[in-house]
Amino acid sequence: MLVGEPVALSGCTVLASRTPRPDPLEAPARRAEADAALAQAVAQAMAQTHPALAGAARALAADRAAHASALRAQLRRVRPGAAGGASPQPVSSPAMVPPASLAGPVQARAVLSEAMLAAQGEATTLVINSPLPGSRAALLGSVAACCASHGVLLR
Amino acid sequence: MPVAVLQAALAAEHAAVWAYDLASAFVTGSAAGELHDAVSAHQARRDATQRLLADAGVQPVPPEPGYLTPEPVTDMVSAVRLAITAETDVAGAWRAVLERSAPDPAIRGMALDALVDAAVRASRWRASAGIAPVTVPFPGTG
Repeated sequence: MLVGEPVALSGCTVLASRTPRPDPLEAPARRAEADAALAQAVAQAMAQTHPALAGAARALAADRAAHASALRAQLRRVRPGAAGGASPQPVSSPAMVPPASLAGPVQARAVLSEAMLAAQGEATTLVINSPLPGSRAALLGSVAACCASHGVLLR
Repeated sequence: MPVAVLQAALAAEHAAVWAYDLASAFVTGSAAGELHDAVSAHQARRDATQRLLADAGVQPVPPEPGYLTPEPVTDMVSAVRLAITAETDVAGAWRAVLERSAPDPAIRGMALDALVDAAVRASRWRASAGIAPVTVPFPGTG
């Protein structure tokens, strides 16, 4: 009559042994860091020849760095220690591209514009489809709105 | 439904429609087309918010009879600054909806669209007026 119980218990064990899901803000935090590095590279590459684009890239780098630190602060709030590491690891995100593709202003502009579109899309999906607390939805909403603004200005 | 913040967002949309109406007297050239688009967008957002509230059995807030502008609007420069103020207020109001809403895709989607639109428009106005920085890192805050 008690045969069912061990089954239920082993079910619990399976659940408990699952690796914890990554925090949904981890991906946008990494993307923001990658975008900031990318924009910094564009700003340096274009500084002499295309100062207007370099200026736009510098502003973009500053905004994305601000996003990264706000997102990291949220991550630390939930899991102190886990995401609070000293310096963030270098990441290879889809936004990272080899410097060769930043050769010309047209390409550099397109790469930044695509990165903004991707960042806006990622934040939008999280805001709409993830059951995020309001403070996180609002933060990602601002991130999406900022990236959309850069995207439009780069066009 | 987060009624109080939706009412505040509706109030901000009423104010934006009023602000653009005032600004339209001073905005000429290619910016006039941009202004026309902005008016249509805010009217549409206002109407959608009114419908949402009314459908929930809530009386939507009406527009104020008049609004105080931060500075007198006398020329294109001050008109564009008023547009930036209106968009900034709208962005803040819709961000508050995101902050106070339950994870409801319909309401969060609506609030996010409105926040993004307002931020993009404010950035375009700043760019056209040569106001730096053109973007802000966290639209809808402060």
